[in-house]
Amino acid sequence: MASKRRLKTVVVGIGGMAISDSPDESLVAHSLGSCLGVTFYDPVLKVGGMAHCMLPLSRIDKEKAKAKPGLFVDIGVPKLIEAMLRRGCRKKNLVARVAGAARVMDRANFFRIGERNHAVFRKIMWKNGLFIRAEDIGGDQARTLRLEIETGRVVVQSEGREREL
Amino acid sequence: MAYNILIVDDSLTARTFIARTLQMAEVPLSQVYQARNGQEALDLLQRVWVDLVFADINMPTVNGTEMVRQMRAMDLLKSIPVIIISTDRSAQRMAEMREAGVQAYLTKPITPEDLKAVVERFLKSA
Repeated sequence: MASKRRLKTVVVGIGGMAISDSPDESLVAHSLGSCLGVTFYDPVLKVGGMAHCMLPLSRIDKEKAKAKPGLFVDIGVPKLIEAMLRRGCRKKNLVARVAGAARVMDRANFFRIGERNHAVFRKIMWKNGLFIRAEDIGGDQARTLRLEIETGRVVVQSEGREREL
Repeated sequence: MAYNILIVDDSLTARTFIARTLQMAEVPLSQVYQARNGQEALDLLQRVWVDLVFADINMPTVNGTEMVRQMRAMDLLKSIPVIIISTDRSAQRMAEMREAGVQAYLTKPITPEDLKAVVERFLKSA
């Protein structure tokens, strides 16, 4: 089994985006709270991509949006899709999975950042004509999201438990 | 096989949502007809053949419940499968529609993924 092999971890930090076609790599976003971890995988080309977005809309800080588009769901996710397409992936083959959007440090849900991240993500997917294969969203726990490039397997770790998405 | 589909809803947004989701799901489509209420749908069904109907319940003139009742009373239309997409979550309404022979009952708001799953289930069993 491929997953028994030691995979090289590529950490996708806050605002980061990564694409890989190396079968010995896995892309990982740690400590997703209200942030959104988005993965796309093309099972035909075995190319995977991940974004770790922090806020829903880029209009609140245009300079940051320019410097690090991956911080914002509304521009980070389309950029990741574009980059995957430039790698030769076909939109109809892209499998999308998403995790995060919790209410960490905002128990009263005043800012609703997680919720808004998720809502904007759904809107972007709809605009791009893409379905979401699986999601692990909300709650108040932090999550770690991992995408294995060789298999396309996506795993979410949270509160000591691990489950395949 | 390509399908003829009829979408019955008084909201243009809802009709567009269903039509676009079917396209995104790559459902083989021949024609997608739209009607704004049950009466328009029944009139249309006199002229064209459809393989599947998506219908809302709360609509002006003839509502979804009455439309399904009338379809079930007509030989030519009684076997056409109907999927209800409504905001009405009452158990009584759902039971009533199941009794009338609707294939599935989805409550709004629905996601494109919910709709895709139902359509795929239906097309597989068709």
